Amino acid sequence: MDSMMRSNLTNEEKLIVQDSELFAQVLFGKMKQITPAIQNMELFEFKYALENLVPKSGWETINLEDPEIIEKRVNDDAFYFSILLKPVRNGKKVLDDQVLNLSQQILLGLALNVYSTEWVLEHFYFDIRGFYFLHKTRYFDQEIINWLGGKPFVAYEQKQKEFQKLFDVGYKIFKEANRSVDEFLIRLMNEIIKQHSKPLLIALAGQTAAGKTEIVSRLTNVFKEQGLSVTSLEIDHFLTDREERELKGIDSLGKEAFHFDLFIRALEALRKGKVTKIPEYDFIEAVSSHTTDGKLKPGKIMLTVFPADVIFIEGNFPFLYSEVAKIIDIKIMYLTDDAIRLKRKWKRDVDYRKKYELTYFMNRYFREQFLMAEKAYIPQMKKCDILVDTTEAKVWIAPPFQKKFNLSENKHS
Amino acid sequence: MENKNGLNDNNTFAEVLYIKMVSINPGLADLELYEFQYLLKNITPELGWENLKIIPMKDLEKLSQDENTFLGIQLNPVKREKIILDEKILCLDQILMFGLVKEEYPIEWVNDHFYFDIRSFCFFFRTKYFSPETLKHFGNQPLFAFDQKQIQFDHVQEIGYKEFKNANQEIDQALIKILNQVLTVKGSPLLITLAGPTGSGKTEITERIHNYFAMNNQRLTTIEMDNFYKDREFRDGKPYGPHVIHYDLFIKAMQDILAGKSIDIPSYDFYQALSSHDLDGNLRDGKTSIHIEPADIIFLEGNFPFYLPDFDKLIGLRIVYLTDDPIRLKRKWRRDIDYRKKYDPVGFVNRFFRTQFLRAKEIYVPLMKVSDLVVDTTAAKLWLTPELANEIHISEKVAR
Repeated sequence: MDSMMRSNLTNEEKLIVQDSELFAQVLFGKMKQITPAIQNMELFEFKYALENLVPKSGWETINLEDPEIIEKRVNDDAFYFSILLKPVRNGKKVLDDQVLNLSQQILLGLALNVYSTEWVLEHFYFDIRGFYFLHKTRYFDQEIINWLGGKPFVAYEQKQKEFQKLFDVGYKIFKEANRSVDEFLIRLMNEIIKQHSKPLLIALAGQTAAGKTEIVSRLTNVFKEQGLSVTSLEIDHFLTDREERELKGIDSLGKEAFHFDLFIRALEALRKGKVTKIPEYDFIEAVSSHTTDGKLKPGKIMLTVFPADVIFIEGNFPFLYSEVAKIIDIKIMYLTDDAIRLKRKWKRDVDYRKKYELTYFMNRYFREQFLMAEKAYIPQMKKCDILVDTTEAKVWIAPPFQKKFNLSENKHS
Repeated sequence: MENKNGLNDNNTFAEVLYIKMVSINPGLADLELYEFQYLLKNITPELGWENLKIIPMKDLEKLSQDENTFLGIQLNPVKREKIILDEKILCLDQILMFGLVKEEYPIEWVNDHFYFDIRSFCFFFRTKYFSPETLKHFGNQPLFAFDQKQIQFDHVQEIGYKEFKNANQEIDQALIKILNQVLTVKGSPLLITLAGPTGSGKTEITERIHNYFAMNNQRLTTIEMDNFYKDREFRDGKPYGPHVIHYDLFIKAMQDILAGKSIDIPSYDFYQALSSHDLDGNLRDGKTSIHIEPADIIFLEGNFPFYLPDFDKLIGLRIVYLTDDPIRLKRKWRRDIDYRKKYDPVGFVNRFFRTQFLRAKEIYVPLMKVSDLVVDTTAAKLWLTPELANEIHISEKVAR
């Protein structure tokens, strides 16, 4: 492996690597440029947090790879597939070795000026609460930008910037920061619904903790106020048992992670205005009411979904597959940046729901954010009608959809 | 989607409870109702709220004073491979919440006896650090009181060092002035014992004091009492006292440093729970002592009782540095969980619930009755014994 850790370190570099106090001081200065949240820390708080990342045999044992090699690795899904979710060392669940090593390399590279802060910021973000680096996923490519007409339909002030200094993000401040884009989306949907026949199937795709549930519940209230009946179908209820998915390594990806046939059947029934029954997923036990081959387990019952004027389909990839996409009337992508979603999950899934063990949570997020972006979100962005980017405070609308509903910027901003 | 029956009742329960709880902990007003519901879900009784039995207030008050309540708390009970809240703590939470909703427990009574920590989503007994005896010992009134700046922490779930230090600025400055005065009157070297519960801010105040005296070219050294511990295996189950530390080495070291000599003291390794010295006080092969140069002011710092025979007469000033339990808990969330990742978060709640009472009873409450000075950072009050105030000719005017 190519190593940038030259054996001929300068004397100054040797000093930094060998003196843990000096190392922490130098790194503290650098990290303040990487993450504003670190500006609020005292040096000794920084040292406490750093302690968990200090290599057992010292920083000099960390091999600094060429930036190009690192870039290549973190853009390859094989890397993420190889991340272990629950590795154990000395009887304790720990951070995956590769996840740990990446953070160690970046920290050492920053301290020694081998990696520039610009390069680090371009490819990574630092999560203050987990105290580790994660890859910055690129959601937009030229193809998506072209599909969405080359420029956003509307753009507002980026209020989420104020979250940079926080460790975690609760609902209230998140909702407040998204007020402009959310209100725009509500106005837009109001316009569309008047022109559309019923039932109307609206699919809302978005990453975990992007804010899907909140916006669906706001839209639901608005529609109900107009006398429309509304129901929602959470795709997660079609998940198969988590243990089995993890064993197979399919996680929450792909048709095989779901009772896909049952899902299509439910959609078609609702489309025709019929009552339907769907599986129930127990989010605490992470098990489905159905066996993996789609049979109801003994003692379990199905959920009943009644037809309505407006049907929301909410989940990670409601219109990824053409079988589903063709049944849907409006395809919305609701996107929030990885760094912000992670802060939301610290609050919601760790502090509030107490859903995960810490290192499992960190490994899992590191792994999933890339894989899910690649397998689920980016492909859906290429076929959505409306894209809401809460972090950038922008809403994009695909030109064919604009034309279909006669939408123009002046009317809505 | 229609959910199973019972949820509607739970929703009503959550709504009523939420309103009550906001008046107990105003920080809850920053949560959306459904965030509150997520939290509540973790502690909702399996058989439903209505099956709980209210415990009379008198009985709960009795429990709060009974050591056995706390000794019975398990630190890391496990269910389905996950560390869970101790059953007694869970039960107390459920009953208090149920009692609040049923209006069996008045909010004032709950506030009097408990505090509620949002991140733990759990009630804790309020420990009373000031007994009538202690108040009398300090002449029944603080030397002075400042604005209670820590009130700003009502709306945060964790507290970092910087904001904590800033909130204590005034009271810490007052303490430094008093120390200066004590040093003038009593002369150096001066041995000061500094005790305080974990997370109360001992490190920060020591740093402040250190900076101040360094500016005046006075030497200050800090000795961690923990370094005198014998191996944990030997200490386990024994109460604090001379026999759990290297007592002879300790007394000798204190005498020497007060005679202006440099000293070498044992070092205690917390990871391995081992002392550098064996039980007879001899340095082990391959281990090293800690070398300490003579100083004008010697701070002996720790969560230790500090009333040891032969030692008391060597102490120039006995300080207890206190911060209220809810504030310490918020500091520990940031420091021990977020930064150090030292404990499982749920195990941490069990531990704090248990130890805050036991430590207070074993160490701080008795120690306060024989100390010269108590700093209460949360109340922003500084208490001095009338004897000391008299001896160093200090009054509120001087301190300010």
